[in-house]
Amino acid sequence: MFAGILDLPFNDILTQTLSAFFGVNAMYFAIAAIGLNVQFGYAGLLNFGQAGFMACGAYAAGMTAHYFDISFWWGIPIAVLYAVVFGLIMGIPTLRLRADYLAIVTIALAEVIRLLVRSVTFKKYFNGSDGINGFADTFRRVTPFDDSTRYKLYPFDASNGTTGTVLLLLLFAGMAVLLGRVLLQRFGREGTNRTTFWAVASILTFGLLLVISTYVEYGGQSFKAIVVGWTLAALFGIFVFMLMRSPWGRVLKGIREDEEAVRSLGKSVYSYKMQALIIGGVIATFSGMMLSLDRGSVQPDNYSRDVTFYVLTALVLGGAAKVSGSIVGPMLFWGILSFADVFLNSLFKEWGNQIGIFGWKFVSNSSQVGMIVQGLIGLMLVLLMVFRPQGLFGNRKEMALDGR
Amino acid sequence: MLLLAGLTVFGMFAAPAPADAATLPAGHAAPAAEGDVAVKVRVQNQVLDAATGKTKKEPIAGAKVQVLGADGALIGEGVTDDKGLTTIPVPAKADYTVKLDESSLPDGFVLEGTADRQVLEAGFVTSNVTVNYFTGQAERATIGWWSQFAQRLADGARFGLVLAMCSVGLSLIFGTTGLTNFAHGEMVTFGAMTAYILNIDLGLHLLLAAPIAILAGGLFGVAFDGIVFGPLRRRKIGLVSQMVVTVGLAIILKNAFLWQLGGRVKQFGNFNNQTCTELGPVCITPRDLTTSAISLVILIAVAFALQRTRLGKATRAVSDNPDLASSTGIDSQKIIRIVWILGGMLAATGGIFRGLDEGVSPTMGADLLFLMFAGITLGGLGSAFGALVGGFVIGLFVEVTTLGIPIFPGEDWPDPFNWIHNGVPSELKNMPAYLIMIVVLLVRPQGILGRRERVG
Repeated sequence: MFAGILDLPFNDILTQTLSAFFGVNAMYFAIAAIGLNVQFGYAGLLNFGQAGFMACGAYAAGMTAHYFDISFWWGIPIAVLYAVVFGLIMGIPTLRLRADYLAIVTIALAEVIRLLVRSVTFKKYFNGSDGINGFADTFRRVTPFDDSTRYKLYPFDASNGTTGTVLLLLLFAGMAVLLGRVLLQRFGREGTNRTTFWAVASILTFGLLLVISTYVEYGGQSFKAIVVGWTLAALFGIFVFMLMRSPWGRVLKGIREDEEAVRSLGKSVYSYKMQALIIGGVIATFSGMMLSLDRGSVQPDNYSRDVTFYVLTALVLGGAAKVSGSIVGPMLFWGILSFADVFLNSLFKEWGNQIGIFGWKFVSNSSQVGMIVQGLIGLMLVLLMVFRPQGLFGNRKEMALDGR
Repeated sequence: MLLLAGLTVFGMFAAPAPADAATLPAGHAAPAAEGDVAVKVRVQNQVLDAATGKTKKEPIAGAKVQVLGADGALIGEGVTDDKGLTTIPVPAKADYTVKLDESSLPDGFVLEGTADRQVLEAGFVTSNVTVNYFTGQAERATIGWWSQFAQRLADGARFGLVLAMCSVGLSLIFGTTGLTNFAHGEMVTFGAMTAYILNIDLGLHLLLAAPIAILAGGLFGVAFDGIVFGPLRRRKIGLVSQMVVTVGLAIILKNAFLWQLGGRVKQFGNFNNQTCTELGPVCITPRDLTTSAISLVILIAVAFALQRTRLGKATRAVSDNPDLASSTGIDSQKIIRIVWILGGMLAATGGIFRGLDEGVSPTMGADLLFLMFAGITLGGLGSAFGALVGGFVIGLFVEVTTLGIPIFPGEDWPDPFNWIHNGVPSELKNMPAYLIMIVVLLVRPQGILGRRERVG
């Protein structure tokens, strides 16, 4: 029976896993996780409604075509407006109270958003469960990639064109900086020569992109979203990194550690928490927008509460309270997920429903594989929280959150 | 190709695919053909008696009925007699479709509900199954607002009792350990699922399956505490981390339910297709009346036990102040275990009752979770009585608000402003509950029965 393991399509498994690292899913998860990191990682706010913020962005983009009938670019300010309003609705009743009230209200309000946008009652505004199409053309026209061509992440690949090369080089620089910082944190000592780290990081990044590019090509349409989305993720990452080194960020971390101490210094804890909630939400709103731009459609069920939990898992995997964690976490999360999904699916194809006892089958149809993979996500979240709450890059002390 | 791969992976996020083809497990073989296995069909007309305001049932003779096999082949036909009844013999206990020929109804009578009804093999408790059809005269006066209101009130009270039962455990666990259990919905589902498996797969009657499932729910609860949260408490893992762990457990459990039982809504094998009987202005099936009565008795018993027994007093003491309770000699860990058992059993009971009403599905409990939160927020987080009252009020409110107030103006106002006149659309019927939750947090965050210091 185990002879069949050699017949598994290892090439497919490798290709799909590698492509998932930089794919659209990892990209929009990364943006959402950067936002969630501001709230959960730095401010200690247990926001279980990130999917609601993501839906704000997606529907702001979609409604420009469906209801407002205006240029797509208005979608960006509208998305920010939606996120601010949604954040205020979540925050005003709960931020003065204990942490669990915020968790309860955010999860419920995100569900309210999903129910409202998919309802028949408000079909006029949100087009119900059909979702909205036909708003992504402007975005697709503007981005410098062609729908019918296939692209590689390697910056100097001939098909990318000049603009593409410049954009990808910028991304490459961002990745190198990220990797260099991670390496410094891991292996850096007092007085280490930093230039070596940056050089090693650049070479590693370059090699990684080269390896990935030999296996992985992206279709033109998703490549647009991938490049623009990762650029946004990099910008937000730099923004959050600088924000958290500013006095504002230090106050925020202080609130997470000891609210009373910060209050005794005369800071308004409530106002800081509200700002963190809204900043994280505004960042997450672009996550939903990028997803909908890639799909070319907005679907209400893409913003269910499970999405929030998966983003949370991805963040915890990378390490909360670290910008690097919020970017690398989603990449690894989707890498693992794609690997598990493809691997288990081909295993299922290979052996069918032979595995089981007394007539009970472990897997009897392929949709069960997806459920097992999703169950594994839950298991990953539990194991991480119990045994390694700091994730891969985090600091354990920073994740010792208490019930306040 | 890669884009496709990405899409397939993403497809997992879509709503659970109703992919399970097997309606009934293969092990549940049909018994040998008995001569007297039959499908009984009863067709009745409901008439509103203008004098008393009550609905009367009158038999309809001459209605043509067909019974079709699972493959659509005709098994038998019948015409109702002057009692409105016809008995159509079938070869064996199996799945059938019953079809009523609507054109054979007397003029002016309109069928209520669908003409095609499913009869499941598991529905044959005795050798026959009765399928009921009701008609109303087309020109019949619409039901008055007050009787509609009474009906919603009754339905709401029924739902409220179930919701209260599910919420008590959530609130008690919060009170004694400080943990908000986001997997509590899955504990509700667990009860219903276990009862369903015992009932359909193992062929036990629901009256036997339900108590076993409730005990299993208690075991499930204590397993939560013994395997996961007890050790986490001893390791002094923070409450926020524990809350995230409950989320992980909820994901695992939901997918385990989906994996084993598929995404479709399923019905228990017993107490289906009941006719509702008149009870004053409302119509309620004997099944619903019984479950409501049992819920009420259980809730009163829980309230009494909390108020009067030693154990109940100890539980409330631990909820008030765990350290003080421990110093007075109460074994707080034991109390916490008991609370988990009780919470699990109550959640399982609620799940079974909900399943009888709305069917069993892997997300049935998770869908109730938000309403439970609304209920315990209204009643006061951590207070068991608060959860009882809050859950009941929220359940009642959710049903009653689907009925509008016609004397209030605004029939043509845009949504949601016309909801006061027209009633909340049923697809959004939970919205008023969430609104209550937000308003309570704004004006009285400790809830109606909670205490100020818990708010933080």
